[in-house]
Parts: sequence; structure tokens; C-alpha cells
Amino acid sequence: MTPVTRTKRAALLATVGFLSLGLASCGDSSTEADAPSESDPVTITYTHRLPDGEGMTTVQEQVDEWNAANPGIQVEPTKFDGEAAEMSVRLETDINAGNGPCLAQMGYAEVPEAYVKGLLADVTEEAAAYEEDFSEGARGLMQVGDATVGLPQDIGPLVYYYNETEFENLGIEVPTNLDEFRAAAETAAADGKNIAAFMPDEGQYWLSAQAAAAGDTWFSTNGDAWVVNANGDGAQNVASLWQDLLDNDEVLVQQRWGDGFTQALTDGTLIGHVGAAWEAGFLLDDLDGTEAEGQWRVAQLPDYGNGVMSGPDGGSGVAVMDGCENPEAALEFLDWLNTSGDFLASQGLVPAADIEVETPEKMTRQFGGQDVMGELAVATENLNPDFPYAPGFSSLVTMSEEASNVAAGDAQVTDIFETAQTTAVATLENLGLPVSE
Amino acid sequence: MSSIVEAAEKPIRRQIKSVEDQPPRSIAPSPVSRVVTTVVLTLVTLYFLLPVIWLIVASTKSNSDLASTFGFWFADMNLGTNYESLMSWTQGLFWRWVGNSLFYSLTAGVVGTLISTMAGYAVAKFVFPGRRTMLAATMAGLLMPIALLTIPLYTVFNAVGATNTVWSIIIPSCVSPFGVFLGVVYAQTSVPDEVLEAARIDGAGEARIFFTIVLRLLTPAMVTMFLFIFVATWNNFLLPLMMISSPELKPVTLGLYGMISYFAPDKGAVMLGALLGVVPLVILFFTLQRYWRSGLTAGAVKG
Amino acid sequence: MSSATEVASEPPTRARSPEPRTRRRRNPGARTGLLFMAPFAILFIVVFVIPIVVAIRSAFFAQVPRNEGLFGGGGVVEQFVGLDNFITAASGTAFWRGMGRVVLYAGIQIPIMIGLALVLALLLDSFLVRRVGFFRLSYFLPYAIPGVIAAMMWLYLYTPSLSPFLPWLPDWVDLMTPGTILFSMANMTTWTYTGYNMLIFLAALQAIPHDLYEAARIDGASGFKIATRIKIPSVRGAALLAVLLSIIGTIQLFNEPVILETVNPWMGKDYTPMMMAYNTMTGTISPSGSGPANAISILMAIIAGVLAVVYASLQRRRD
Repeated sequence: MTPVTRTKRAALLATVGFLSLGLASCGDSSTEADAPSESDPVTITYTHRLPDGEGMTTVQEQVDEWNAANPGIQVEPTKFDGEAAEMSVRLETDINAGNGPCLAQMGYAEVPEAYVKGLLADVTEEAAAYEEDFSEGARGLMQVGDATVGLPQDIGPLVYYYNETEFENLGIEVPTNLDEFRAAAETAAADGKNIAAFMPDEGQYWLSAQAAAAGDTWFSTNGDAWVVNANGDGAQNVASLWQDLLDNDEVLVQQRWGDGFTQALTDGTLIGHVGAAWEAGFLLDDLDGTEAEGQWRVAQLPDYGNGVMSGPDGGSGVAVMDGCENPEAALEFLDWLNTSGDFLASQGLVPAADIEVETPEKMTRQFGGQDVMGELAVATENLNPDFPYAPGFSSLVTMSEEASNVAAGDAQVTDIFETAQTTAVATLENLGLPVSE
Repeated sequence: MSSIVEAAEKPIRRQIKSVEDQPPRSIAPSPVSRVVTTVVLTLVTLYFLLPVIWLIVASTKSNSDLASTFGFWFADMNLGTNYESLMSWTQGLFWRWVGNSLFYSLTAGVVGTLISTMAGYAVAKFVFPGRRTMLAATMAGLLMPIALLTIPLYTVFNAVGATNTVWSIIIPSCVSPFGVFLGVVYAQTSVPDEVLEAARIDGAGEARIFFTIVLRLLTPAMVTMFLFIFVATWNNFLLPLMMISSPELKPVTLGLYGMISYFAPDKGAVMLGALLGVVPLVILFFTLQRYWRSGLTAGAVKG
Repeated sequence: MSSATEVASEPPTRARSPEPRTRRRRNPGARTGLLFMAPFAILFIVVFVIPIVVAIRSAFFAQVPRNEGLFGGGGVVEQFVGLDNFITAASGTAFWRGMGRVVLYAGIQIPIMIGLALVLALLLDSFLVRRVGFFRLSYFLPYAIPGVIAAMMWLYLYTPSLSPFLPWLPDWVDLMTPGTILFSMANMTTWTYTGYNMLIFLAALQAIPHDLYEAARIDGASGFKIATRIKIPSVRGAALLAVLLSIIGTIQLFNEPVILETVNPWMGKDYTPMMMAYNTMTGTISPSGSGPANAISILMAIIAGVLAVVYASLQRRRD
């Protein structure tokens, strides 16, 4: 998929400019796909940043299994040890130098920007064969406009975690709407407990996911321009909830990834948490061996005012990179990998594929025998179907900065969504993409 | 540097006058000043070592104990579990990574010290074309943030196919502009021209003069340079993060960084890994001790 | 630039010469000097010069979508934009606010750290204490702890509910507020780099010719006087180097604010110019990409260079 010569006319046609690009790339790949044969195995390079931690089935072990069964398609995985942002810099450098990997893990929110930068291959045609393995909503996460660029791997709908025993002691039920949530927070706070944490460092994904759960769509298109709507009705509902809790001092204010959160969790102050599905894999690790072990459960989010819905908080897919010579073979492996439920679950992930996954033994123990994976799958089905990301979403980290000011009492929660709106528009303009005001 | 000598000599002359009306002091310091100094240095030691002690204690704890027990005392002894966890998270490659780090740091340290000393000596003792330009360029090299040069550097190594090799770590690590400046400053003060002249009159070649005389005179400075380059190589993770993809070639700091960049790191295990990584450095430091002696007991130049 | 390098490299003269100084009688040869310089010079060109040239070039380019449409045609092209990247960085308040912070920080932290390092080096280089090796190691040890690990450590030590120190301090002490965060960072830097600078001084002290002390001793000078009258003037070259390095390092202040920002998001991704450059490169700050990022780092380099030259020439005038 080297630079494609374009005519003015093609450019004009391309309100969806990627379409023509997609066609060109399809042409390329189909000729390339003829090349491999049984005697001459193709090599698929695959860069990921899965944890490969203690007690997990490592990516290498899983890939070994594939390689043994598929002599024609040999996969070489590489674990990248840095952060997601560092990995995208490395990928960009490699792909521009012509030696990028064939497959690479990528957060859903980063996909559109990587596509704009020309890092991803359009594999719409090749991916069609695997349509039925993934729900439409999940597939949409790895689509940019009409082009499919890979397959989803794990998914992070927001859910509600809570300590059932503590809730019973306090006489509160799992809140099903925001009024109940406020009431429960008040009851718990009277007893020195918090049923949720406000986490400034997660401001970006956590709050945008709640806005999605409240029914908002942040990025849509009007003809050939982006429309950004980050402070709509849903965002206002979310803002008013947290503003009330903050004003009444009925919420724990801690950074999610700071040690204060762990402390509140282990000392029993924090008895509920609005969090992503993938947190189920490790959230309760620190409670192992304490009396709180086995007391927690997972439930759906309360109704944020637009029916029971969830919003996407993280999760990632595996994209086919620009320059991959055998996208067909790559996708064949990828589909197998992303439907290997036990492997993904062992890595602490909630598979995005439409498969039944048995709750791992560790989760069963930590969640008192609950069918955690079943509950998380319901949240996945409840995901807001219309919440695509736009290029430049990573710059909305300004939301976290503003959320921190909110925590310090220097700003209102609504300001966070205002910031999201202005940052998103400015970033799209800086990227040179059309924005409709 | 002559001005330094002048500056050093002037006050002495002045002082000779000023001490005339005082009784001669004993050369040995008084017991009071000894005690005071020891107390002061010990307090400073506490400042530097207390966090390290905290780290040692922390490496024996589980995550929940880290968040709930007093930092300077042990909770449930979790050392064995942390060690197992460390081995498991590093796929059993931990000690191999420590070995890699040792290899990279030692090689870069030795080569880097040698070439920096040579360059520093050249600037301090020879006049050659481009000398000032080279120094200015070296200074400018310090001014650009290294983190942003890593990507272009990666591109350069990529172009010659040298990424993911030991060279991609060793070559960049052994180029130390700061080492050159140290070399210049130390060569100016501790390599007297007379010694060089005398050796030349005796008919010694320039290489021989450098390797037998200059290196000996510069030993304390070189030990310092070596330590700096060694530690900087050991602790650098951005360079290997970009350059290295094979697990077999990773240095230990990169491996630990990989453990931390995951959402819920096993912190006790990570800190244990860091401490185990510091052990070779402490041993090295003590091995190098004998090259530093107090300036009063061993002048670099025998008068 | 030139005055900074001049100070570090005053023309070679005899270190100790009883007679009036003369120019060296013969130049042992430019060729020899070049040969000694060559190994470093070649590697320096590969590791520094080429990447710097690449970085400077890229600062004049920006990525623009290669086509119209919502996703810019799914690819970008590098476009020459002249000084746009520099103008964008220099006309925004974020860059100068960050620069103000690090300059303030440099003005306070560097004198403390260098002073402490010098005092420690002098004390260790006297007859005053035994177990010099132990002290030397314990002061240097913090530098040997990998930064990513020290980061985790400081977050525990600074977080109010977890810190083993804070309970002993008055309640109003909070190390992570806009008013105190610079102090907290300064403490981290001082902890890490004091021992490093101390070693620079120790090596310089070892280079002092022995007979200078003899004369002073015979005349009955105290250890304190030897320190102030002989040793401190003699390590001036090393001190200048240490300060210059600290100035440059502080303008590039990165690790400490990045660590603290993880639990203090109010600091923002552009708290220091170096954070701004790095996060621009990784795409977290817009406009993103290597062009804008390199423009920021070149501005930083220029400012650091100017400060270094100013400091070096002030020092020279004092001499």
C-alpha cells in the first residue's frame, strides 16, 4: 500500500477518501496472498503489550500451539514493554521505515488516529470471513468509517463492582438509577463508607464511557466534516451525579492508579466502584486472604437516564499494519487468537468475540462464585452502539487534568466535558481534518 | 587552569601571614571536629539511605501490605512469593536480563571511559584543527534532550540493520559527551606537561605515553567516568525499549519497566527485582574503592 | 557556545611551573591529537550528530493528511512548514509557563545540591572520618536505583495516607499541591544526583598536586583553611562543569514531574518543556508529531545553551 496516485476527482469523491485507498490496498493484498504455499510458510510478526504475568497463559505459549498446528503460517510474537503511547511511536517509526510488524495491538480509541497516519491496512475484504465470530458492536470498534482494519480482542464496558456483604450490612441495594445511586452513596457515607470513587487520572476514558452509557454520541459526521458533541445531555447527567456526590462529600476522591485507591479498597472504606470490565481481572487481588475475600460482586451500571446501557472504557483490538504482506494469513491466525477465550481470560481480559467464556477459577473465588464472565457479557451487549472515536482522541487527556482541578475544588464536573469539547475540536483542526462547528 | 593554581597559591601566602600571630596548630584534627563531622555525615547518610531501606522493606511485602502497613517495618514476610512472582513475570529470564545488563554496562563503561579519556586528553594537551569545533559540538550534544534523539537514532540503526543487536545498546551508551568534558578538566589538572615532555625526551611514543603514564595519572577520574557510564547504561530503558525486541537481549531495567507499565503491577516483586539488580553495582563500587584515596594521602602526582 | 567551551578548555598550559609560563616549546603534533580524538569523534557523529541533524530537519516539517475526507485519506505526507512549529510552541503560554517553572527550580535546587555535594566531598576528602567508603557508597547509591523504581518509591513516600514520614510532620504539610510540588521534585533530584556530583568533586580533589598541601601544613594551616583556600579553588573547573550539567539537566527536567503527574493530573502533560516535547511526540499533546516535538526540544536546547553560556561567562569574569 505505497502512496496511491490520486486524481482531483478521486479526492472529490473521497468525502470518504479512505475508500479509494481501501480498494488499492485490496488489490495489492490479493496478489500477495497468492504467494504463500504449503512448502513455503509465511511468517506473521505480531507485536503486543499483553501482561504475560504470573499464572497466565503467555502469548508465546499460545502462539506455539498455533505454530505447531499450522506449519504454513508461522507467527512470531514480540512483547513491547512500554506504554501504549510509546508503542505507537515505535510502530510509526517502524512502518515508515518499511519494517513494521504485520499485526499490532491497539487501543480502540487510538485506531482512527493510526489510520489517519497511514499505519493501518484496510482488510475489509479479508475480514469479512470472520464476521460471525464477533458482534456488530464489537466489529465496529475495529472499523474506521467503512473500512475494517483488524479484529477486536478484549472489551471494557463499564460495570458496577460492589461489596455485597457491606451493602447488606448497610441495608442498601445495588442502585439501578442515578437517584438510587445518590441515596445509596448518602447512606454509605453516613457510615464512613464510599460506594464509588471519583478518579481524576481516569477522567478521559472513565467519564467519556459514562457519557456513552448515558446515551451520548461524541463524534458523528455531517457530510464530510466531523461533528463533536462532548457536552450533550448524557454528559450533563453524568456531571450532575458526580458533582452532587463531590459537593456532599459522599464519594472517595483518589487516583485510580495511585496507592490511595488500593489503601481505601483494602481498609474497607471503598465498597463500590464504577469500573471497566477488564478490571475484574485484578481489582480484588489485594483482598486475597483478607476477610473481604469473596464478598464482592459485579453488576450492570445504573440507568444514567437513557435506559440501561454501558459505555466503552478501554479495551483493545489487533490491527493489520500497513505493509503486511499476508493479511489473509494474518487474519486467519488473529481470528483464532481472539476467539481463544481461555487464553484471553487467563490474561485477565474480557474477550470481545461472541463466545462463551468460562469464568476463571481466580475470579470465581474472588467474586464469591458469581458467573463474572456472564455478567460482563451482558454489559458488552448493553454497550452504546453509537459511540465511535475520532482521530486525536488521545489528546483528550486534558479531561484528566481538568478532573484533577475538580477534585481540588477548583472546577466543576461540567468543565471537564467543556474541556473535552474544545480539545477535541482543536485537535481535529490541528490534524488538518474537517470539523463542522 | 593556571589561574586555578595561582588562586590556590595566593591565599596560602596570605595565610602564612595571618597564622604568624597564632600558635601553630596540630596537624591532626581535634576529636571534637571528628565527632561533629561523623554525626553530620551520618545524618546525611540517613537522608540518602532511609528511602533505600524503605525499598528493601517494601520488596518483602505484598501489594496490600504495602498500602496498609508501616513503611519502615516488615509485615508478613512475602519475600519468597515476590521472588517467584518476579521469576514468573519475567518468564524465568530475570537473571539472564541481569547478565545482559552487566554485559552492556561493563562494555559500554570500559569502551566509553577509554574513548572519553583519549578525547579529553587530546583536547587538553594537543593543538589540532577542529579542536574547538569538536568541543562546541560535544557541548551542543548535551543540550539536545536525549529522549527525543532516541527515535532518529533508531532510524539510523534501522537503516544499517543494527536494531535488536547488542551493538544498538552498546554503541550509543559508550558515547558520553560529559565524559569528554570530565576528561578535559582532569587531564588539565593532573597530567603535567613536564611529565609528557620528559617521556618524549626519553623517546617514548605517544601511544605508549598515553597507555602507561597518562592512564595511570587519570585513574581516579576514569573510575568516576566508568561508574557514570556504567550506571547510566544500566538505568536507561528508553533506548532498549526502542532498539530491542528479542526477550533474550533485554536488559533488566526494561524488563522491570514492562512489569510496571501493566495496570496492576506486583510492586513488591518489581522492587525486589530492582534491588537484586543493584547488588552487582554495589559489589562493583566496592571493587573500585581502592582507586580512590583521600587526596591528602595520595596526590595524583608524586612531588 | 564558544565561551562555555572555552572555560572548560582553557588553552593547555603547565599545571605547575615555577618559572614564568611559556608557550609550549613544541607542539607534539596535530596528528596525534586527532588520532586520540578520532574514536570518540566518529561515534559521536553516528550517535549524536546525525540524529540531531535529522531532528533539526524534521522541526521544519509537519504531517498533513494526504487527502481530504474524515480520515484524511488514510495517510499523511510530510510538508515543509518553515518556522510554523517553532512559532506554535513559542507563542503558546504552556511552553513559557513550563520554562518558568524549570528556571525557578534550577535557581533554587542547583545551588543547594552542588553546595551539599561539595561539602560532602570535602568532608570525605579530609582526615575527619573513618569508613569513607561506606559514606561514599551510601551517597551514591540513590543514583544507582533505576528511575522507574525510585518513582514508585517516592509516590509511596509522598502520598499522605501511606507515607511513613508525613504522620510525623504537621498536618498542613502536603507535598503534592501546586505550591509544594516543585519542592517535592527538588527533593527527588537532590536525593538522586547529590552523590553523583560529589563523585565529580572527589575526583577533582584527587587531582590536586600533593605538595600544595605540604606547604600549607608546615605553616600550620587547619583542615578547614586547606579546604577553603586550596581545595575549593582547585575544584572550580569541576564545579563549573557540574553546574553547567545541572542547568542543562534541569531545563530537560522530565522524570520527576512525569512520576508526580501520574497521581497529580492537574499538573498536565506539559508541566515542563521536556514533558511537553515528549508528549507532543507521542501524540498526547496537539499539534503532535516529531516535527512539533523537535521544534520544542530545539527551543529548549537554545535556552539551555544561553543559560549555560551566561553562567560560564559570569564565572569567568569572577575569576
